[in-house]
Amino acid sequence: MKRYDLIIVGAGPSGLCAAIEAAKRGLNTVVFDENEKPGGQLFKQIHKFFGSKEHRAKVRGFVIGRQLLDEADRAGVKVVLNATVIGLYQDKEIVVKIGDGIEHYKGDAIIIATGAAENMVTFPGWTLPGVIGAGAAQTMMNLHGVLPGKKVLMLGSGNVGLVVSFQLMQCGCEVTALVDAAPRVGGYGVHAAKIARTGVPFYLSHTIVRAEGEECVTGVVIAEIDSHFQFIPGTEKHFDVDTICLAVGLSPMSQLLKMAGCKMEDNPKRGGQVPVCDEYGRTSLPGVFVAGDVSGIEEASSAMIEGKMAGIAAAEYLGYIEEEELKKELVSLEDALNGLRQGMFAPENRGKRIETTEEGIAVSENLLEHGFITEEEIERFPGITHKAGIHPVMECTQNIPCNPCQDACPKGCISIGDKITSLPVVVDGSQCINCGMCVASCSGQAIFLVEEDCGDGTALVTLPYEFLPLPEDGTKGKGLGRNGEPVCDAQVVSVKNNLAYDKTPLLTIKVPKEYAMKARFFKAL
Amino acid sequence: MGNNAEIIVIGGGIIGCAISYYLAKRGADVICLEGSDHFGNGGSSRNGGGVRQSGRDPRELPLVMYGIRNLWPFLSEELDVDCEYHQDGNLRLGKTKKHEEILTGLTERAVKAGLDVKMIDGDEVRRINPYLSEEVTCASWCPTDGHANPLTTTLGFYKAARKMGVHFLSGEKVIEMRKVKGVLRKVICASGNIYEGETIVLAAGYESRAIAGTVGIDIPMQPAMLEALVTEAEPPMFDQMLGTAEADFYGHQTKHGSFVFGGSSGLEGFTKDNGTPVCYAKTAPCICRGIMKYFPDLAEAKIVRTWAGWMDRCVDGVPVLGKVEEVPGLILACGFTGHGFGIAPGAADQLAELITTGSTQVDLSALRYDRFRAKI
Amino acid sequence: MNAVNDRSRDIGPFIPGTDDDILICRCEEITKGEIRKAVHDGMWTMTEIRRYLRTGMGLCQGQTCAKLVKAIVAKELGISPAELEPATSRVPMRPIEMRIFANELADKKEDGQDGK
Repeated sequence: MKRYDLIIVGAGPSGLCAAIEAAKRGLNTVVFDENEKPGGQLFKQIHKFFGSKEHRAKVRGFVIGRQLLDEADRAGVKVVLNATVIGLYQDKEIVVKIGDGIEHYKGDAIIIATGAAENMVTFPGWTLPGVIGAGAAQTMMNLHGVLPGKKVLMLGSGNVGLVVSFQLMQCGCEVTALVDAAPRVGGYGVHAAKIARTGVPFYLSHTIVRAEGEECVTGVVIAEIDSHFQFIPGTEKHFDVDTICLAVGLSPMSQLLKMAGCKMEDNPKRGGQVPVCDEYGRTSLPGVFVAGDVSGIEEASSAMIEGKMAGIAAAEYLGYIEEEELKKELVSLEDALNGLRQGMFAPENRGKRIETTEEGIAVSENLLEHGFITEEEIERFPGITHKAGIHPVMECTQNIPCNPCQDACPKGCISIGDKITSLPVVVDGSQCINCGMCVASCSGQAIFLVEEDCGDGTALVTLPYEFLPLPEDGTKGKGLGRNGEPVCDAQVVSVKNNLAYDKTPLLTIKVPKEYAMKARFFKAL
Repeated sequence: MGNNAEIIVIGGGIIGCAISYYLAKRGADVICLEGSDHFGNGGSSRNGGGVRQSGRDPRELPLVMYGIRNLWPFLSEELDVDCEYHQDGNLRLGKTKKHEEILTGLTERAVKAGLDVKMIDGDEVRRINPYLSEEVTCASWCPTDGHANPLTTTLGFYKAARKMGVHFLSGEKVIEMRKVKGVLRKVICASGNIYEGETIVLAAGYESRAIAGTVGIDIPMQPAMLEALVTEAEPPMFDQMLGTAEADFYGHQTKHGSFVFGGSSGLEGFTKDNGTPVCYAKTAPCICRGIMKYFPDLAEAKIVRTWAGWMDRCVDGVPVLGKVEEVPGLILACGFTGHGFGIAPGAADQLAELITTGSTQVDLSALRYDRFRAKI
Repeated sequence: MNAVNDRSRDIGPFIPGTDDDILICRCEEITKGEIRKAVHDGMWTMTEIRRYLRTGMGLCQGQTCAKLVKAIVAKELGISPAELEPATSRVPMRPIEMRIFANELADKKEDGQDGK
């Protein structure tokens, strides 16, 4: 039987990172993936990632996927695609379906990096065609170029629901409403805000009563729920939609570990049934490691670091490196991982209600309850300053681990400081040169360049605009407020799409000066 | 509810659940203890569902014939659960001269014991089941054999007995039995709980050996791991139960449409496990190759699950049933050797009769514990 | 695991619900009402439910419904879903044609190929 030093199941972010680290240290490594393309979910992620440089922040997911594949190739990793691992047996033996047959392989070490699958919720009509998972919608759009539907209701306001809603709009769907049974938005406020300002209504404390349609979805009814998750009569709302997208969480795909006799636990904080493992992915079975979502649902950025840890731990287990080296390497990776696990959305804060930022500022309740920050709330955050001339306005109001903006500004106008979760502040005395790099670098699309008074009664607002078609110079339309309501007339005065912006075009609109701090999106007439 | 009952049944498989049911039906007060977390968790849920008489040892044949005549046809109605019982015959298939000899021998013995079974040739086999390949040259054919769903039947007995007041406990692993004043009375569990009864039925599969050992009884049986698999649902093809001369392959199409097949790789008896019955990587592919030789049409059917289970293999291939003279109060019901499903209702009913009346309709004497002797 | 579970514990009567006819296990077409009734028939573990009703035994092997069924069973029993152990995972991870499962390539080829 063919034997490898290390067999990795799953060529997603964690599996590939594990493979790269292991192969670099001399392990004969193979990665099996059931899909025809490697990269797991990365190639569906067309948005820019959060984090810092070491987490590949502001790089789009699919680009990270390409980078990882190149690195894996250089390190000598063998990636076998269309290869479904159908079983993990005793003695670290796997059976892989390849083509029209099966292969048996043994690994001296095995890393399971099989990721997660989407959860479902039930309501009358949930089995109608047209009810799909948000991840499925993303696969259709971003991998296969297929429109999931024309009018979509999204259930779930976590990052997946928010990110996919935005992508649905980018590919031309109308997102009719964003609904969540929770009383507050679950994902990053900046993701919510960029959807809300296009006019998508948020219905928190609401859920789906039923999907309508005989053969397929033709509509949906939602209603408000009380604190016991019971519908409140009389609050029903109907929408004509052809698609209902469910973004209600993920469950680890840990079946291979369970069938191999790995000690498992049911851990709601990790998303369901997960292997019992230490922080480096070592399971109860000697030589069997885990990395990524299969051991607990997190972001791709964390999965990559976990993958590295497991790859290095496997190298040590097989004697390719000394324990000293393992310890040294893990310390820096742990720092990187801890960096990501900070702030308001840290795993330890899950389910907690946070009322003030690390800076002691009251959070925007409206952002949590309706998806946008009110004009009254926005002024209290440090990213918002008023001065003459062009200057950045950073509507970044939650402590999340992300700092590309401070590196993006060539003039040092923006500072986050050493603590990656701190809110960005405008550096006193700095001079903005209107280059737009900060706007394009912000993964949350929360930075605007504003000239509050052009001297002729107008103001200029530069905003990120990742939609097609791009309006042309001179296009007239409406400036939309943070809630997506038209607030004023607006005219496009400049459209920039520099290579350095990495496909985040910047639109500059001219608005009456009293709307300088109100208009945050543009809609052509 | 207390820890005392007239009868304590150790083991919540089909034997334990069915005995509990037939005891409750006769008005007895029963506690049934299952060591694992689930009722019907051993061979009861892992077998191929055969309800057959052909191919059986003459010592146990009367018992299974009794069940097929008197119990199986009415079981779904009686338990209020669909046991999916089909009485459409059993084909025990042969491909070689040697197979034919084995089958002829089995058939002659069964006929002597009063069973309607006969040898047929390959063409006749294919008239009964046109999907079988030309490789099949002969078979024994028993039209009164059949199959049922082991999962719903086992849990059906549990459900019906529970409804009649049997006190069931799972996760209650028995570690010891103890006599009081010369009579078996106490059942001690790993949890520390102690149960007391006038009669104690030991129906814990291969684990019965260790439990019986605590009162000085040694049943010559060993666990042996077997494997099976199931396909996705297919259009209805045939209703017979199938087996082979060497008993290396067996199965049927279920009501659901899926095919359940058991089989072997040749490594059986010498496999290892991790504390739970686990599949061997080599076995399912081997079973698939075996199935396709008999049923080329099933090549495209998708396998959705494979599993393994232990059988309690008794040294002479038939169960150990009934009273044990040395230990008054003990009733043994174990050692079914991998074919305990079809015989379960009959065995359970007769043991319940033995416990409640002291006698049985079917003579169980050939299956008693005191049958084990040295060969010379 | 292996906690003593007294199956005579009173969980109250089965009360029909308005959403009992909603499908939970799509592969095997099992409704919420059937699952709830099975609990009252004594099926108190995910494994028993699965064996009794076939939930999670279809082509997806419970990938979609396992959590849903668990939540229904837990609610019926008045316990937290985390107290219920999920049913066993079994080979194969994905349904596989008998012809392919039977075809062991090792003897024919030296090494893994991508199957193209």
